[in-house]
Amino acid sequence: MDKMNYKGQIGVTSHIEMGSLDGAMLPMHDLVDECLYSSEMDAQKTQPILSTQRLLFSGLRVGGYKMTRNGVYKSIKTVVFSNKLNLLMPFGPLAIMVHKMSASNSWVFFLSLLGITPLAERLGYATEQLAFYTGPTVGGLLNATFGNATELIISIYALKSGMTRVVQLSLLGSILSNMLLVLGCAFFCGGLVHYGKEQVFSKATAVVNSGLLLMAVMGLLFPAVLHYTHTERKVGKSELSLSRFSSCVMLLAYAAYLVFQLKSQNDNYVPVGEEGSHNGENDDDEDEVPEISKWESIIWLAIMTAWISILSDYLVDTIEGASEAWDVPIAFISVILLPIIGNAAEHASAIMFAMKDKLDISLGVAIGSSTQISMFGIPFCVVIGWAMGREMDLNFQLFETATLFITVIVVAFFLQEGTSNYFKGLMLILCYLIVSASFFVHEDPSAVGQSKIPKT
Amino acid sequence: MGERLQQQQSGRSMILAAVAGVALTAPLLGMMGFSFLATLTLLFISLPLLLLFSPLLLFVGLVFMVALAGFAIAATMAFAGVSALAWIYREIRDFRRFATKMDYKQQVGAQSHVEQMGSVEDRSMLDLDDECLDSPGTEVQKTQVPFSGQQLPFSDGFPIGGNKMIRNGVYGSIKTVVFSNKLNLLMPFGPLAILVHKLTTSNGWVFFLSLLGITPLAERLGYATEQLAFYTGPTVGGLLNATFGNATEMIISIYALKSGMTRVVQLSLLGSILSNMLLVLGCAFFCGGLAYHRKEQVFNKATAVVNSGLLLMAVMGLLFPAVLHYTHTERRAGKSELALSRFSSCIMLVAYAAYLFFQLRSQNDLYSPIDEEGSHHEEGSDNDEDEAPEITKWESVIWLTILTAWISILSDYLVDTIQGASEAWDLSIAFISVILLPIIGNAAEHASAIMFAMKDKLDISLGVAIGSSTQISMFGIPFCVVIGWMMGREMDLNFQLFETATLFITVIVVAFFLQEGTSNYFKGLMLILCYLIVAASFFAHEDPTTTDQSKQPKT
Repeated sequence: MDKMNYKGQIGVTSHIEMGSLDGAMLPMHDLVDECLYSSEMDAQKTQPILSTQRLLFSGLRVGGYKMTRNGVYKSIKTVVFSNKLNLLMPFGPLAIMVHKMSASNSWVFFLSLLGITPLAERLGYATEQLAFYTGPTVGGLLNATFGNATELIISIYALKSGMTRVVQLSLLGSILSNMLLVLGCAFFCGGLVHYGKEQVFSKATAVVNSGLLLMAVMGLLFPAVLHYTHTERKVGKSELSLSRFSSCVMLLAYAAYLVFQLKSQNDNYVPVGEEGSHNGENDDDEDEVPEISKWESIIWLAIMTAWISILSDYLVDTIEGASEAWDVPIAFISVILLPIIGNAAEHASAIMFAMKDKLDISLGVAIGSSTQISMFGIPFCVVIGWAMGREMDLNFQLFETATLFITVIVVAFFLQEGTSNYFKGLMLILCYLIVSASFFVHEDPSAVGQSKIPKT
Repeated sequence: MGERLQQQQSGRSMILAAVAGVALTAPLLGMMGFSFLATLTLLFISLPLLLLFSPLLLFVGLVFMVALAGFAIAATMAFAGVSALAWIYREIRDFRRFATKMDYKQQVGAQSHVEQMGSVEDRSMLDLDDECLDSPGTEVQKTQVPFSGQQLPFSDGFPIGGNKMIRNGVYGSIKTVVFSNKLNLLMPFGPLAILVHKLTTSNGWVFFLSLLGITPLAERLGYATEQLAFYTGPTVGGLLNATFGNATEMIISIYALKSGMTRVVQLSLLGSILSNMLLVLGCAFFCGGLAYHRKEQVFNKATAVVNSGLLLMAVMGLLFPAVLHYTHTERRAGKSELALSRFSSCIMLVAYAAYLFFQLRSQNDLYSPIDEEGSHHEEGSDNDEDEAPEITKWESVIWLTILTAWISILSDYLVDTIQGASEAWDLSIAFISVILLPIIGNAAEHASAIMFAMKDKLDISLGVAIGSSTQISMFGIPFCVVIGWMMGREMDLNFQLFETATLFITVIVVAFFLQEGTSNYFKGLMLILCYLIVAASFFAHEDPTTTDQSKQPKT
């Protein structure tokens, strides 16, 4: 849950008045309640409640002292055993075993999907721990990059296998599920819990993010329109070059966005932040408790990434087999199933924050993640594909591009007002149902003939 | 405070000048270096040959001539590069010190009646300029256009002061109009274009030179319009500005229509809208945001929203003929969309007339400062004495005519040579019409919008950029359709799918960006990057209809 913030967070270390944590030898539940209520006083600042989330998930725990010198055993205990979600961890090795023993692709696919989920969550945890030590700027960059590390790793493996269509579809699905499903659930649950009043969120952030999403859609739209009006100068090559150029432009825009965010935080300017805002009090570092030392976090980061890579490999290998076994099109699996399960942890955290009336953080998780994928993830994959020699372009085919365009406009419109209620959430969820149904009946013409290139 | 402002601006303008200079002169200097090296290499290679084959004196002579030509080219390029750098530096330095008057082209309801100009009579030139720059701080709300302050700066050296020059002789008139603007250095390029056209068949050069030649004429046309508006009162003045604001684009379009190049008309008008909405606005936001990066600049949301609404309506008018065509669902193929286009154009012209009417009425009622260009309060008519029209009424009419005639002549050459230039430079006609023509044609407006943004007068910049887009989309395009109707040309509103989709998404993105009413450098950067994407798309775009466009003999 804690890494959910990071997926969207820029300008890291949250400096919250967790002063109540220091030296407080309270039992677990009281601590949790304390943190929940004391943070209501700074609900305006919408700071991400890092320590609270960790505390919520940890069964055995730390109290208020720093654990800087863990033995290996303690480190494992902190990282691996302290999160209930990690019960799903054995599914990873199980998937590998099943793959070696049987030829059942669908089971391997399903098990590796389940196995990746806790790893993704722990990756965020390790990133957040590392961000304690690196200061706000680098920490923010870390979060911005590793926020969607799971999706990116899966995409890079798919690119290597030559399955560019899967890459496009899974990234698109991630954007759609974040914008519609996660946001809708957050609005819905938050609206139900806070039934009497309308929840508000920071309009400025939402509008900036919507603008960025629109710009990303613009970048995606032109190669597709160029292709479908059959007006490119050199058929086939023009849209690839245009896609690569647009990707560089979009990466530039994303870098400018990061710079702008960090500068405006430093200037204490406006609470523009994908994830809460960070005011000048950088001195609260002592209040947060990094639970593992710097080198431990780096090592765990590497271990998690390696494990995710391995499981992604199996995932990508077996996606075609699973699609045949379950008789659903690859498009549906890539657009709907992969992102839902991959984003499960973010999903849960967004809902939880909405129910605590911290809608800005939910928004940061959901929309920030979408922005990150559309402005950084997709162009990055195009550039990586360029480096690998794969012909990945921004032409997402007409159906997908139209879906993205309509979705972004609808969501941007919903976010205009700055308020939310359960009805808006329900509308967004129902929109997502319509989108999924459309993809269920959609036969992707290019994925049918997709051949798997032997790994090089 | 003025000095600090100037220091800040000098710092930034130095950086801007340096960047612009480097960007422009680096290729020139690079070419110079290359030709120099090539010449040296040629000499070195040929030296042993010369010694071996010394009887071949002719060959030696040839080699020496080539070497000489190479050095001459290198020297010319170096000179051009250095002089361009110096010109740009001087130009930006002058822009910084003096306010320019280039926003007139977009102005609706001409006379801006600024109280600050009450102090015009007694000050000297330089003080006036600083005054004008600084005192707006007190009335930034009214966003009035500082008229006289803008006219005066360019007559440096010619003491105009605050007295009216009602009775200019012909010489005085020419001096005022022609020699008082540094941009007019580009004026000789016009006759040069005609000269080159007569002497050579190089279409590329004629196109480029006529393009350069039109730019100062366009700016002077705006100046003449503004002068005339002094004498005609606010209403007619507003109408004048609204009509002549984009006179250059309209004249080019009418000539293209006459030649039967309806596709060029559509593309150039579309490109004008796109460049105004994305590039000019983006640069204004970006430079303004950099200059004021501590705070967010605000602009009048109401104006922006009204203009966005009008743009969306124009897009709607353009969308339906295109959709009708591409779903192959018209009742009579070919004729239906033409009829629909003509009908929609009339509707759009009615809408534009109503918009002008609404603007002028609401200014008179002091309703809200909705305007394409600043706002005009009731004290307008009494402050006439404060502004100093520099040329008499008949002079402005005459100059208006002269400049229009010159622009027409150059437009003729422009339109004639566009196809040749496209082949010579290996760019599609679509790219030239959509990207190159508007950028160079709008250069003066571009500079003025940036300058106003850097002075924190974002409403005026917005008026220049978005107002111009609205004017072209709601008046320019329908007007061309109607003119084409009269001429018997089949110009319709079906801009083909790619262009229509581009316009649609651009208008939505820009309308969205303007919703908030604030601006910062990041938004400006995003708009500029969007324009880069659009330009790249048009670069990669092969327009199916322009490849077989035939030029009909002029009737």
